[in-house]
Amino acid sequence: MLQILRRYGTLIGFVAIVIFFSVMLPATFPTLKNWLNITQQLSMLTVVAAGMTIVMVMGDFDLSVGSMATLSGIVAAMLFVAGVPVPAAVAIALAVGLAGGLVNGVLVSVIGILPFVATLATLTIFSGVAFVLSGGKTISGRAIPPDFADFAKSGVALGDVAGVAVSLPTLTIVAVLVVGLVYILLEQTSVGRRLYAIGGNIEAAHLAGVAVKRLKLIAFSLTGLAAAGAGLMYASRVASANPTQGSGLMLNAIAAVFLGMSMSEEGEPRILATVLGVLILGVLDNGLTQMSVDSYVRQILVGAIIVLAVAASALGKRSRR
Amino acid sequence: MPLLSLKSVSKAYNGVKALKGVSLDIGAGEIHALMGENGAGKSTLIKILAGVVAPDTAEIRVDDQLVTIDGAAGAHRLGFRFIHQEMNVVPALSVAENISLARSYPTRAGLIDWRALNASGRTALERLGISHIDPRQKMARLSLGDQMLVRISAAFLSAQGKPARLYVLDEPTAALTKEESERLFRVLEEIRSSGQSVIYVSHRLDEVMALCDRGTVLRDGVNIDTGRIAEITHDDLVAMMIGRKAQEAYPSASMAASDRVAFRMEGVTGGGAGPVSLEVRAGEILGIAGLSGMGQRALLRMAFGDLATRSGKMELDGAPYHPRSPADAWRLGLAYVPAERRAEGLVLTRPIFENMTLARLKAMSGAGIWLRPRAERALAGQLGGDVRLKARAVTQRVKELSGGNQQKVVFARALSTNPRVLLLDEPTRGVDVGAKFDIYTLIREMTARGMAVILVSSDLPELLGMADSIAIVREGRITTTVSAQGLGEDALINLCYGRTTSEAA
Repeated sequence: MLQILRRYGTLIGFVAIVIFFSVMLPATFPTLKNWLNITQQLSMLTVVAAGMTIVMVMGDFDLSVGSMATLSGIVAAMLFVAGVPVPAAVAIALAVGLAGGLVNGVLVSVIGILPFVATLATLTIFSGVAFVLSGGKTISGRAIPPDFADFAKSGVALGDVAGVAVSLPTLTIVAVLVVGLVYILLEQTSVGRRLYAIGGNIEAAHLAGVAVKRLKLIAFSLTGLAAAGAGLMYASRVASANPTQGSGLMLNAIAAVFLGMSMSEEGEPRILATVLGVLILGVLDNGLTQMSVDSYVRQILVGAIIVLAVAASALGKRSRR
Repeated sequence: MPLLSLKSVSKAYNGVKALKGVSLDIGAGEIHALMGENGAGKSTLIKILAGVVAPDTAEIRVDDQLVTIDGAAGAHRLGFRFIHQEMNVVPALSVAENISLARSYPTRAGLIDWRALNASGRTALERLGISHIDPRQKMARLSLGDQMLVRISAAFLSAQGKPARLYVLDEPTAALTKEESERLFRVLEEIRSSGQSVIYVSHRLDEVMALCDRGTVLRDGVNIDTGRIAEITHDDLVAMMIGRKAQEAYPSASMAASDRVAFRMEGVTGGGAGPVSLEVRAGEILGIAGLSGMGQRALLRMAFGDLATRSGKMELDGAPYHPRSPADAWRLGLAYVPAERRAEGLVLTRPIFENMTLARLKAMSGAGIWLRPRAERALAGQLGGDVRLKARAVTQRVKELSGGNQQKVVFARALSTNPRVLLLDEPTRGVDVGAKFDIYTLIREMTARGMAVILVSSDLPELLGMADSIAIVREGRITTTVSAQGLGEDALINLCYGRTTSEAA
């Protein structure tokens, strides 16, 4: 019984949270519309956390994802201002993410800087570049092409539910696709297997012929790419770009991966567990906001829940030793 | 009256019984061997004494007083001291700091008195007759063997408060050279004559025979026998441990090596070692002997592409061979079994089959990308049979296996690529007698298939029993290569120390 609680405690906690809000907010919380809304709100975080899972599988970190998301939004917006067509601007912004991630990878695997230090430095650099490019100002209004802004508003119509038209948001679809791709990468390919081997024992993996350096480059690049994608989704959603808008993403993404890791017996990050971590954070935020809980109190509650989940799994591991 | 008396000690982990009513008496001033295969229950028994594991049932008496061992601190209060197989040192601290780690450092005016600290470190080392280690040196700079010596010195340094009464040593000589081991034995004999007792755990029966007064053999969680070592033969001991008649310790070669040179190093230098020149033929086992930390590891790492060579050349089957990474080496037909299986060999948290297929994952995957778990599990099952692995299923996590079976997983990986040259670094370190024999048999099977083997080992009987010829390494160079045929252990030791036989005492 205790074992089950430790293993599935986080999942049970999630179900408990959902039941709690459904009881407290019967009219507005357990509705299709609200859940579709939650998935849209969470789509950016999901994409960043999915990317974060890739590097955390190797036991590494990427602290620069938030400022990379900001930077890619700014880059795209600046290109829009310069009259670059939307597809080209989006492609360039994504390429910036890939390149930024590659820089992280080079710093960590080729030069050998601890990921914490390396990505802390690039966090600052990416953020600084975003400020310099934008001159510290928000780029919005007519500078953002309608095509780009409409992307986030669009969705696949699901028909009428109780007389209200509901649709599956495009951003949600994008997030699900990204999760699917990361799932395939981590669980179905030899690359994913090797990443887990690196995370389990980097020296053994290296001696068994795993190309550790190259895989780290790939992993960090993909994390950067995901962060840039999330930045574009965010910019599209708010139809603007400003040099601080991605700042909350990094901590939440890491929190989501940790929440997910608390469900794995070996403490390994798994992509589907990360998604559950994202959902816990998102549902809490959604429900507490609807209950008009003060946003600072919300922060305290969210932090406490992360500590609880991770502590429970850490204690579970120790008792089994 | 014995110093320590254990009666009906039992312990089960998740319903699996590790100890089933073990009894043990340790007299004052006795060196008592504790023997048994991996999984026989030795580690559990020691952990109970150390206060790390609580027994399900136990009657423990010290000086005829019933006691309970209350955690590690409780064991220390009873005067028990432990030297474990696994290293626990702080590499960033100095030797003297590591030696005094469990005690409070000497102080002067509230600050650490470094001179006194270093002096007590030196005293502790001198007790083992060690003069080549500077107590001010960083621990990280020492070889594995030297680190072990430091740890042993630390355990013998008399603690503040309660004096030591019983030392428990678990495989202390695994990383030591013959000479270092001898020094340790002298100290243990000193301890015995001062009335303190020793529980000595080792797979090396020769050591046990030479050192210990009495011995207890455990098998499957019960004590098989306790007796005076002087009255038992080597073969009896082995038979008791494995529960069947002792086989030949080393299987004999079924065929002679061919004339074809499979692998050659010529004047290779790198990583502070070399120049190294050697060659090994298909079907041959070339042993590498030497004191620990003499460059054996660098030699293997250069051959395996992990350590860059500065000069010299290597050849594989007559063709130039320049591996730039272990991945290259695997692809070109080499395989490597590293010395530290837990740190360098295995991904402990992952299943057996993933560990076995890691080196040939690309070839096993569809288009080099898509995993084919069913094919992997089938291959792992087959390799597991080849190496006589004992496991519930190939999906079992490696960390749940015993040391011998973990080592077999590393071997299975080495076999998975059908290598032409096999590099082995201490392949049977910390492996029990039964698994050892399996591994030796396996090595013979591979050479019979034409594989060339380079075997680095500090276990001299193993080298003499397995190798066709033996190269001696000293200070990074190969000083001489001799045929193992008719070579005795004494002669080999002398070669390692660079003495001729006549000089040896």
